[in-house]
Amino acid sequence: MPDVLTKRVFAAVSLCSAAVFLSAAVPVATQAPTGERTFLSRVRRLTVEGKRAGEGYWSPDGKRLVFQSERDPANPFYQIFVLDFATGDTKRVSPGMGKTTCAFFRPGSDEIMFGSTHLDPKSLQYQKDELDFRASGKERRYAWDYDPEMDIFAYSEKTGAMKQLTTAKGYDAEGGYSPDGQWIVFSSMRDAYNRTLSPAEQKQLTLDASFFAEVYIMKADGTEQKRLTDWAGYDGGTFFTKDGRIVWRHFEENGLIANVWTMKPDGTDKRQITDFAAMSWAPYEHPSGEYFVFASNKLGFENFEVFMVDKAGIKEPVQITHTPGFDGLPVPSPDGTQMAFTSARAGGPGSAGQIYLAQWNHEAAMAALKAAPPRKANTK
Amino acid sequence: MKNSLRASLLIALAAVAAPHAQSTAVQSRTKTQVETLAADKFEGRLTGSPGEKLAADYIISELKRIGAKPLPGLTDFRMPFTFTAGSKDGGTTMTITRDAGGAQTFTGAAIVQALSFSDTVEATGRVVFAGYGLVVPEAQNFGYDSYAGLEVKDKIVVVFRYFPEDADQKTRAILARYADLRYKAQAARQRGAKGMIVITGPNSPNAGTVVPMSFDTAIAGSGIAAASVSGDAFAPIMAAAGKSLGAVQKEFDSGNPHVAGFAIPGITVTLKTNVIRQQQTGNNVVAYLPATTPLTGVVKPWVAVGAHYDHLGRGTTGGSLAGKEEANAIHHGADDNASGTATVLAIGEALSTQPRKRHLLIALWSGEELGLLGSAAFVAKPPVPLDALAGYLNFDMVGRVADNKLTVQATGTSAMWPKLLEQANIAAGFDLVLQEDPYQPTDVGSFNTASVACLTFFTGAHQEYHRPSDTADKINYEDLVRVGELASGVIKRLMDSPEAPLFTKVEQKTETGGRAGLRLFTGTIPDYASDVKGLLLGGVIGGGPAEQAGLAKGDVVIEIAGQSITNIYDYTFALELLKIGQPAKVLYMRGSEKRETSLTPAARK
Repeated sequence: MPDVLTKRVFAAVSLCSAAVFLSAAVPVATQAPTGERTFLSRVRRLTVEGKRAGEGYWSPDGKRLVFQSERDPANPFYQIFVLDFATGDTKRVSPGMGKTTCAFFRPGSDEIMFGSTHLDPKSLQYQKDELDFRASGKERRYAWDYDPEMDIFAYSEKTGAMKQLTTAKGYDAEGGYSPDGQWIVFSSMRDAYNRTLSPAEQKQLTLDASFFAEVYIMKADGTEQKRLTDWAGYDGGTFFTKDGRIVWRHFEENGLIANVWTMKPDGTDKRQITDFAAMSWAPYEHPSGEYFVFASNKLGFENFEVFMVDKAGIKEPVQITHTPGFDGLPVPSPDGTQMAFTSARAGGPGSAGQIYLAQWNHEAAMAALKAAPPRKANTK
Repeated sequence: MKNSLRASLLIALAAVAAPHAQSTAVQSRTKTQVETLAADKFEGRLTGSPGEKLAADYIISELKRIGAKPLPGLTDFRMPFTFTAGSKDGGTTMTITRDAGGAQTFTGAAIVQALSFSDTVEATGRVVFAGYGLVVPEAQNFGYDSYAGLEVKDKIVVVFRYFPEDADQKTRAILARYADLRYKAQAARQRGAKGMIVITGPNSPNAGTVVPMSFDTAIAGSGIAAASVSGDAFAPIMAAAGKSLGAVQKEFDSGNPHVAGFAIPGITVTLKTNVIRQQQTGNNVVAYLPATTPLTGVVKPWVAVGAHYDHLGRGTTGGSLAGKEEANAIHHGADDNASGTATVLAIGEALSTQPRKRHLLIALWSGEELGLLGSAAFVAKPPVPLDALAGYLNFDMVGRVADNKLTVQATGTSAMWPKLLEQANIAAGFDLVLQEDPYQPTDVGSFNTASVACLTFFTGAHQEYHRPSDTADKINYEDLVRVGELASGVIKRLMDSPEAPLFTKVEQKTETGGRAGLRLFTGTIPDYASDVKGLLLGGVIGGGPAEQAGLAKGDVVIEIAGQSITNIYDYTFALELLKIGQPAKVLYMRGSEKRETSLTPAARK
């Protein structure tokens, strides 16, 4: 999912090292970018600790946020944490071992879903290797590796038990629950491992495994797994919408252009929502059901900003953030009055990306969407 | 959906309404405290002045009101320290005695004047001209020693003020760091010289004039007789040497390390220096709130908060950035640092009613504006063992929150700070900017040096910085109160924590070196809180060279005279290379637009 994507972008384009990305993420005058204040007010930094954090998703009651963060001195990879807005306390809910990503609260339950590699016997070795590498002082391009041992688990906050929901070889992650908590939509790269690949496909797998990612659906207990997409290019970042559809982003085969799509949970009625000629990803629906917020590098390859688009994609997207460097992964609060997002705007320690929170002006958003010009056609 | 959205919005508003009433009461108290401290009555709270004493009395009355007590074993909240408030020349003379017979004595402030750090002493000796008197330490691997091949033991050395005027940029950049007169005097003394005479060469700014007695807070002298003399008084010495001063300077100005100094034959010089140092007493105000539970087994049982309450008085002793039209007016120091003082009082008040597992030490420092004197005196003779401090939180200029931004510096002093800040900021809700560097020009520096895990809070420089116009009406009280709430949250968690933060030493980025750059005046106010690449201007001084060059608040300087600027250190360094009166090309960003201008530095007197 989203954060994963930027890594992929920089892995895909050899020109762009992570170092370039970071130096490009120049923070920020002390003066507010005025454009941003149209929709966002009282912007504040939510996560401080650790090298980076991202992918903050709200609990259904809006009182907590689950997110991933690199903050354990013994584990250089993301682990999953839950932040309680009332107490300010943060607790780790993932096993602490291996890599994790993309957590989501299950509505009407005590469960939290996320992808994890902790069952891989090599995961401790990977941690040690990465720590040794960082200690050596060397630098390399930061790249998400789509670990084929990544599976989806549901963690019970009451019992602490971890329930394994997927077992297929290949990266399973980027999941979201349906509003009733009974279904999970997710992304899987199992198609690269469950059959014999042609030499061209084999080469593709070593170059970029995400090419094989497709959207799947399953019951919340992991049964009835079913594939919903069958397109070349990375399909992922999947969530249910209020009206029972699925929103996700589809990458074109070249891995550079992505757009927001929706479909029915049975995989029919696929509709393209953006046609923005850029890398547009991480869509999430505002709880009003009127529009999607998403991230796009429309204004510069490394300059991701948050945009929004009307639900049917009739209009051109409207820009929300106006800060150089990375702004993305927008997730409105369940009551629609706030928005969490990930940004590299602070500079200084932990500037690789941290979670921010702002008050969201829904009325201004509706007015801006109404005033937006009709969608341009970019697709051939 | 719209309706339900609106309903939840109302609920959200109702939720914030309750604590709001409480914070309004704190806000009004804080406002009163800032207005009181910044009032004309306190005369700008200059350390050692009656205004400082009035301010201390007021702070003590507030501390008593919240139930704080003098530290264990003490009966008074005041903790006095002695410092040199100023120095003046008490009648320094220079006598030139010719071997051939005849002597000439010079005296008078504009003719012979002791350097402020000189001993009061009589020194007689033969004379050696040691060029610019510069010694670059061997570790720098540069190879410049004005004393190479010179024997100066028991001699009087003569040196030029500043550093070679015509040297290439790289040479100037290195030599500038060692051009401070104190450093030159030290070099001369270490080589056995009894006295040092400074002459401002004809090719330098302020040519032929004596060095003004600068403000120097050192209590003791430097172990040498040191004075500067006018061009006229120096003329007989050059006559004895049989050379022209201008020609000699021209040679040294090349920066060539092989241009050697020389002994001056035929004369003996007697330097009688007389420096009168005015000793004064400043008062730190220190109190504590005892722990409410037994301290058995508590590691490092103290947490400290502090802010300086002194300011610049009428700006007559240095540090003032007042323009001509406001010179000698009361410098109110509302942001600097009535804001921090009120915040520390608010933290004490908030924690006075809560259970405390550690003692809270509350310190209001004096002498900060004169060089961190109060906090330095405290850590030099700590009334509480410093290794009993779990942490120190400092507040200096916290009253100008803009766009919800708050800078927290020195976070590199412990790995525990980011976690504590994250937790406390969930409720406080600031857009935090963290800086690991603890080498900040505020009292946090004293505690970092003493290996105490520390933080300092800052809301940025501004147009009114160190000017009379830093007044109470410009303070953002609503957000100032929130700074205290955030810090109280950090302290509460720190008090409750079974462990104490482990101190981490942060390496200093660049040595600060000499202060030769100070001879230049550019009229820029750097924004020290910024992490922008380049130098973000927090403002420019009205009528100064920067304003004349068209620079303005918010501009980011990225290059000066061919030197690229990525941070404040680069900037300071680049300034040392500029020449007074000579235009320098400046590249800067205004928004996303790259612009170029020409800035002509003026001389600082």
